[in-house]
Amino acid sequence: MSAFYASNLVLVQATLVAILLALSIQVPLRLGVFSLAGVGSYGIGAYVSANLVLREEMGALPTMLVSGLVAAAVGLLLGVIIYRLAGLYLAMATIAFDLTVGVVALNGGDWTGGPVGLFGVFTNLTMGLLFGTVVLVLVLVHLTEVGRLSRRITTVREDPELAASMGVNVRAYRLTAFVVSGFLGGLAGCLNTLTRSAVGLQDVSFHLVVVALTTIIVGGALSWRGAVIGAVLFTWLPSVLEVVGEWQEFVYGLIVVLAAIFLPTGLYGLWCSVRRWLVDRMRPRPRPRPGSEPRPEAPSAAAAAEQEVAAR
Amino acid sequence: MQELVAIASLGSVYLLFALGLSTAWGTIGILNFAHGAIFVSAAYGCYELLEVRQLPVPVLAVVAILIGATMSLLMQVLVFDQVRRRATSERAAETRILIGGIGVAMLPIALASHQTKNLAFGLSASGFEASIWTVGGVRVSSIQVATVVCAAGAAAALAWYLRRTRAGLALRSLGVDDQVAALMGIDRRRYAWATMAVAGGLAGLAGVLLTLNLGAISAESGDALLIKAFACVVLGGVGSTVGVVVGCFTLAASEVWVLTQTSGMWVEAVSFGIIFAVLLLRPQGIFGRQEVRRV
Amino acid sequence: MSVVVLAGCGSAGPAASGPQGGDGLPDTVRLMVSVPLTGPAAFAGTEAEKGYELAVEEINETGFLGEGVTLEIDVKDTQASVQKAASDFTAAVSDPEVSAVLGSLSSGEAVAQSPIAENQKMPTVYIQAGSPGVVLGDYTYRFPTPMSAYYDVLSQYVEEQGWDSVGVVYAPWIPTLKDVGEVALPAMAEELGMEVTASVATQQTTQDFTAPIEQVLATDPDVVSIIQAGPANATAMQQLRQAGYDGPVLGNSSAGAGTLAPAGAAGAGMVWPVDFAPGADDPASQEFVELYREANDGEDPYPYAAEAYDAVWFVARALKEADSAGREEVKDAMATIAAQPWTGALGTDREFEDNNLVVGGVAIEWDGSQENVLYSAER
Repeated sequence: MSAFYASNLVLVQATLVAILLALSIQVPLRLGVFSLAGVGSYGIGAYVSANLVLREEMGALPTMLVSGLVAAAVGLLLGVIIYRLAGLYLAMATIAFDLTVGVVALNGGDWTGGPVGLFGVFTNLTMGLLFGTVVLVLVLVHLTEVGRLSRRITTVREDPELAASMGVNVRAYRLTAFVVSGFLGGLAGCLNTLTRSAVGLQDVSFHLVVVALTTIIVGGALSWRGAVIGAVLFTWLPSVLEVVGEWQEFVYGLIVVLAAIFLPTGLYGLWCSVRRWLVDRMRPRPRPRPGSEPRPEAPSAAAAAEQEVAAR
Repeated sequence: MQELVAIASLGSVYLLFALGLSTAWGTIGILNFAHGAIFVSAAYGCYELLEVRQLPVPVLAVVAILIGATMSLLMQVLVFDQVRRRATSERAAETRILIGGIGVAMLPIALASHQTKNLAFGLSASGFEASIWTVGGVRVSSIQVATVVCAAGAAAALAWYLRRTRAGLALRSLGVDDQVAALMGIDRRRYAWATMAVAGGLAGLAGVLLTLNLGAISAESGDALLIKAFACVVLGGVGSTVGVVVGCFTLAASEVWVLTQTSGMWVEAVSFGIIFAVLLLRPQGIFGRQEVRRV
Repeated sequence: MSVVVLAGCGSAGPAASGPQGGDGLPDTVRLMVSVPLTGPAAFAGTEAEKGYELAVEEINETGFLGEGVTLEIDVKDTQASVQKAASDFTAAVSDPEVSAVLGSLSSGEAVAQSPIAENQKMPTVYIQAGSPGVVLGDYTYRFPTPMSAYYDVLSQYVEEQGWDSVGVVYAPWIPTLKDVGEVALPAMAEELGMEVTASVATQQTTQDFTAPIEQVLATDPDVVSIIQAGPANATAMQQLRQAGYDGPVLGNSSAGAGTLAPAGAAGAGMVWPVDFAPGADDPASQEFVELYREANDGEDPYPYAAEAYDAVWFVARALKEADSAGREEVKDAMATIAAQPWTGALGTDREFEDNNLVVGGVAIEWDGSQENVLYSAER
């Protein structure tokens, strides 16, 4: 067991949780659903899991499943109610949902511990289970980014009317986005509580919306790799910025602004275009149409991102 | 009766703050998350200025409007315009402008928190003392009156401008369909700059008035207002001036009512509940005419 | 194997257990200081840091730990982030050089650090952090008890004034203030036979206090209590005056540090309890004030500095008692020290209760431009 790993264990755990939280926002985004409800689900998962462990003395795995499912059920209910909304209106409605979860957490009495929160949440969660869960989620998400399903998702996002005329049930896809977002958010919240052994109002604050959004915008909104890049970056940034000391907030803001302006497809999109440019330089040869040659190693989501870059 | 005064002054603060937010959102499609940061920066700028020299309140108000307008314009030119130019689609631009706003907001706030160590600051150095008048058993302070007058004036001027002038018409047409508006020869960028400058100026004015009214704010005070303003805008209908006025006073009234009728624990939930309920029942808001994009 | 206990790649492995216990102190003893230097609690953090530095300097200059032994502190900014606070703490646990940790003064951060402290057997001394869940067991100590424990120092003042009823506007979203508003203040009122005419909760986003103040004044209390944090203190005072109430106001210690200055004359007349005041007449406190003024160009210390100073001294005395830098030995020595009367910046001959230092409290009045000591608690 390496000393580095031991002394940075909290950051490793936090990175894994941040990946799940980012995915809970990213999955609906890929379906063209600008929902930030994942943050509210995170809060639900965080408090539900604390109660399951403290009151029912449940083990780690069932706690994770139940927390995820409860948050997914709430997500479904929310989706049924507001799936008609789009764009900024949907974002606003889901932010209202997130903040409502926060108010409930503050006023929940013994169930939430009010302003203090709940602590002493110890379970038999192991790092192996934590890693395994996140890897499993990433594999499942990856499967939605390749092949036919990926093309359908892209169509639902870019042109819902076209998708509907092709026989894709757009409504079902959108509702699924809410459910998946709820489950992932709930799971993230649950794992955060289990690794921190405590839950408090900081787990239901508006700040998390900012964190999750910046994570995927800077990392890249169209592939799980973007979520991973963003999560690693923003989890480890505070320790790196310690050298900046008092000005870290400023630097953080600057990074977000620059990413919003200059990285339309995030760091992952940038990496794809750089790689592509390199490949083109290395192997100069006439090509009938850019991007038409089959490249099995590049998933279609990335390809779409590249085409977006190329199109400009 | 005393409650009515509370509602009027609270609603007016919301209104000054939300007017610019709503106009920018409804006409040029920018939901500016840095609006709260502009508000705080203007108040903070005045506070720093007072450290250097004594100024009367009307001069401070003008300074605050200038600070707000300048900051807002800079954001538009340096950030939002750049985002729009590089974004791949309108929807992507919306998301990125939202994020850009969040990022931009961090910059002045980080500066102000650093300088004040996050302690409260106020404008008492201006020597301003609110006078209190008692009318029929109801107490009203001069700063409350000033806030209500400023808010009413700003709302009326904005409504008149959008309704009755050619430029206002052009601006509203951008909100309805910017592509058609562009074909009609309306220069979107120029209008965007003007709108953002006015919105920023109003936020700056709100910053000084609220700081005088409250006595003190801190670098973090903008965030709370931002959420409330969203609620007001959504409630009244995006882009409708009358709607924002109604939205702000409705929210203020419901908050004061909840506060006086209960122990106050659920005041927060009022604004979120309103956002939610309105989006559900009447997504365009009470006075919104703009068709919400449906799926 | 829980994740909170460091599990190396799924297999059980104890964390670094700190410096070797046993014979005498090493040449350098290291402590980690976790303190918010940025974010909402930045002011408290920077003031506390001065107290930590002062104590270390004094301990090293006087050779308190013995010939050639120096105490070193490694200050880590929590950046107002619970995650960063927990992460720095874990890093300290796995650093074999660190003997003890001075934990964060911010409740949310402290609650995240304490489970790690107890699990990983790291002696930890907190200051301020008044929430439940901070002091959990043998490894966690706090200077001083939360405010609600010494709030009743105001009883004497209230009795002198002869009030029969009180109306409260409080902020239940901050653990310490919720405790004062819902428990300590009503308990004090009951003790003195006062009626609580109204108790209004305000929320984090409440900036305008006109309505809650009206509501409280409508019940016609003899005295008003404002239990708020940050700029809300100044706002509530100003609006209370505008609403026609001009009597004294019972407040809380977060109104200190010049928080009321923006309210100008309207702020005058707020009274609150503190655990430490530079003007209090305790000889040990006065000694600390002298020392602090010398080190900081004559400025007066805030309570945070006094608490931090005592926290370092507490660890130092434990180190000397244990004659070892080992964590277990330090923990055992802390229990020994805590069983004896404590004399330091926070007062003379104080007792510990459940690992919290009990203070009598000092009643402070703000006169519109500065804090004045009304009296100290009867000992």
